[in-house]
Amino acid sequence: MIRTVAGLTALTFAALAVPPVTAADEETGFTPFTGYAAASEFSVVPRQGELVFFPCSQCHEFMEPDATIRELMSPHEVEFKHGQGRFWCYACHKLDNREQLVAVNGEPVSFDDSHLVCGGCHGLRHKDWAFGAHGKRQTSWTEDRVIYNCTHCHDAHDPVIKPREPMAGPGVRTGLERVAPERHEKPKVWQRRDSQEQKHEQ
Amino acid sequence: MQSLFRFLLDGAREALRGGSMYRLWCIGLLVVAAFGTLQYIEQLRHGLMVTGMSDQVSWGFYIANFAFLVGIAAAAVLLVIPAYAFHRSDVKEVVLLGEGMAVAAVTMAILFVIVDLGRPDRLWHMIPYIGRFNFPGSLLAWDVVVLNVYLLLNLCIPFYILYSRYRGHAPSTRAYFPFVVLAMFWAISIHAVTAFLFSANSGRPFWHTSLLAPRFIASAFASGPALIILTLQVLRRVTAYPVKQSVIDMLAVIMMIAMQINVFFVIAELFTDFYNEGAHAASIHYLFLGMHGFDALRNWIWIALLMNLVAMVILTVNPWRREMRLLNLACVLGFVGIWIEKGMGLVIPGYIPTPLGEIFEYFPTGTEFAIALAIWAIGLLMFTVMAKVAIAVETGRMRAPPPSHDLAVNPEG
Amino acid sequence: MSNDSQKAGDKFDQARRGFLEKLGKAAAGAGAASALPAPAWGGASFLEAFGDMFNKQYKKMTRKEIDAALSRIRRRALRQYGVEIDCDDTPPQENVVFGYAINISTCQGYRDCVHACVKENNLGRDSQVEYIRVLEMDQGTRNLEEADHYYDPDTVPVEGKYYLPVQCMQCDDPPCVKACPVEATWMEPDGIVVIDYDWCIGCRYCMAACPYWARHFNWSQPKLPPEEINTKTHYLGNRPRPRGVVEKCHFCIQRTREGGQPACMEACPTGARVFGNLLDPDSEIRYILENKTVFRLKEDLGTEPKLWYYTD
Repeated sequence: MIRTVAGLTALTFAALAVPPVTAADEETGFTPFTGYAAASEFSVVPRQGELVFFPCSQCHEFMEPDATIRELMSPHEVEFKHGQGRFWCYACHKLDNREQLVAVNGEPVSFDDSHLVCGGCHGLRHKDWAFGAHGKRQTSWTEDRVIYNCTHCHDAHDPVIKPREPMAGPGVRTGLERVAPERHEKPKVWQRRDSQEQKHEQ
Repeated sequence: MQSLFRFLLDGAREALRGGSMYRLWCIGLLVVAAFGTLQYIEQLRHGLMVTGMSDQVSWGFYIANFAFLVGIAAAAVLLVIPAYAFHRSDVKEVVLLGEGMAVAAVTMAILFVIVDLGRPDRLWHMIPYIGRFNFPGSLLAWDVVVLNVYLLLNLCIPFYILYSRYRGHAPSTRAYFPFVVLAMFWAISIHAVTAFLFSANSGRPFWHTSLLAPRFIASAFASGPALIILTLQVLRRVTAYPVKQSVIDMLAVIMMIAMQINVFFVIAELFTDFYNEGAHAASIHYLFLGMHGFDALRNWIWIALLMNLVAMVILTVNPWRREMRLLNLACVLGFVGIWIEKGMGLVIPGYIPTPLGEIFEYFPTGTEFAIALAIWAIGLLMFTVMAKVAIAVETGRMRAPPPSHDLAVNPEG
Repeated sequence: MSNDSQKAGDKFDQARRGFLEKLGKAAAGAGAASALPAPAWGGASFLEAFGDMFNKQYKKMTRKEIDAALSRIRRRALRQYGVEIDCDDTPPQENVVFGYAINISTCQGYRDCVHACVKENNLGRDSQVEYIRVLEMDQGTRNLEEADHYYDPDTVPVEGKYYLPVQCMQCDDPPCVKACPVEATWMEPDGIVVIDYDWCIGCRYCMAACPYWARHFNWSQPKLPPEEINTKTHYLGNRPRPRGVVEKCHFCIQRTREGGQPACMEACPTGARVFGNLLDPDSEIRYILENKTVFRLKEDLGTEPKLWYYTD
């Protein structure tokens, strides 16, 4: 599985692996993003195949593109928290081709390369991710580097990771029992200052 | 060779002979030792889970006793120093008893380490050449070396002296004096190395202080004489062995000075840790004041400190020190006080809180007490037997039968 | 010096072999080897028990002796747990020194790593040994004494807290190795500090020496549910341990030496854990160490930990 994924993405993502010298697009004047210099070779776990409603054209083929901000209908009644009201769908989705996303420079982006959309705003995080300081690696340290896409972990519409129940805490060895300590929260420096002022006033 | 065999046989005979009190004492000790041995077999069967130790506090009552007993062993040879350095003939007479005490104490110390091992069946891994002995890297390896050499020294010197006397020769000073000098320095080294064993651990701020070795020596030179003073008085009462009062007076003065220094060191430690209370003070804070509702050792350490202070005051006031009853009280207080302070009071707080800040208290179990008691009983029994034989030889009661040709000239024969 | 000890060791070996052969014959003669009660330190027969007892230290063993020890480990697991395990001693790879970096901005305190480690490394379920401790820390402080080891809220992360996973740091100047009186623990060429469980005497001096509380002791025979045993094991790693010896994290030596990733890294759902070869300038870990703000725990003690923490 990993191997095939690596192979597939290596094809679609060769641009990032070896940054080619690309001329600026004549129409838009933008230079497409070609990756970071000195970043080690990597490929990204594809995302498109995991999407529930893909291909989007199943429905959208029969609908007129409508950019107006409105209440979303099933099956898209997601709670759209990303950006806290700053964006609408077409900040990331391509209006005239629902099979694709759109980067900040207007370039169409495949769902498999969705990190290019995220990286448009979260540049520093994207760089960390590309170099391995953020995100999760699928393969081991000896294998070709295959890393998960941003959207594998973060819901693009509500990207903050939800709190979760932790697994069981540590125990003590057979035959012994733990007594919980009486914890007194040590006041923070600013909290100490507050109580001192109160004392002063008294 | 034959006379050596006879000496050992006579010694064994002497050890078995004795009044009803002597026999009762020995049998009592044997019973305690036997009970503890049974408990140790239990520990071997189930593993160290029968103790109160945990990953958090991984050394406990056994190592606490070990640290204390190495001090007793070191201080027992203390008698040797004035005897030979200042040519005190009165002290020379009890030197052998001191060395006997050293032998008993070192044996006990070694036993305490052995019962603490998770795999005593692999003890041979420590033997150089067939095992792998991490010397000079490991301080524990150093400790094994110094303790065993010390044991050997303190077995050989008295053995040579007693064996010579037994055969009616005067022991040749030339033959054994170099070893006596060696033993004097070695006594300091065993205790310094034992202190380094603890202070080497930079991850345990409570132990990681250069004051630990001096403190160990000072407390050893306070608790050792305390035990010797008490023992000499017992021996004076139950045996015919002449113990001069001047020896006891001298020991009391040594104990006074050592106890003063010891108390001063404790105060120095308290000041350094508490004046600016950083992370290094967490253990001592737990020990003396308790922490987050845990204070298992707090009362003990204050009692110990009080005992040491009272002992120091009694020893310091001249008329009080000369009053035997008060002196004995000071000895008991000093001995018990230092046993607490340097045993549990030193080993346990080193682990509380753990290097990751967890507080998990330690309480010794009945098994640990029984095994520890057994080791003390074995030590006492060893000392009793050795002292009995030594006194028999020294007082001339135990002598090699003279060669047949001079039977006539020997008035006793 | 080493020649002498080699000779002495060889002599001892000959004596040992002779002794064992005799013993084996005696046991066979008695015909009751398997009926004998298991000796305290394990083994169905005295021959087996003695075979363990006179095991040499791993680094001193010949290939033949290692193979014998490995097959003894397999037999013992079969006897104790009824499970056929695989036990090897994959050597370190050339030009590899392992390092680990943990992103504490990303760690959410789920403890998934802790439990993955317990399963992977055949940790005694009753003894409650866990190689990883995740500490819940107050934002604004890095004082370990205020850490909560036993946090158990409904959900993590808790507001105002951050999480600091601690395990063996595989120090480059390991105080535990220095402390061991019998050289039962040492640093391998790939930087992993390992323990020979058949050589450790259980004195626990290394536990006193470790500033990271990384070492754990088997106070009783560790209990493993046979169906949960990880059958892929390594001599210096996750093979079932005997009682009375010390153990600790070994960077999943049974996986990483064969090119795999540690179980804790695999289990981490947030990608907070980054493992790799410190000697590879193109590795992720090298990027982190050279470009991010990193720190190490108790760096002032001079132990040169090979586990770093970093923040976004």
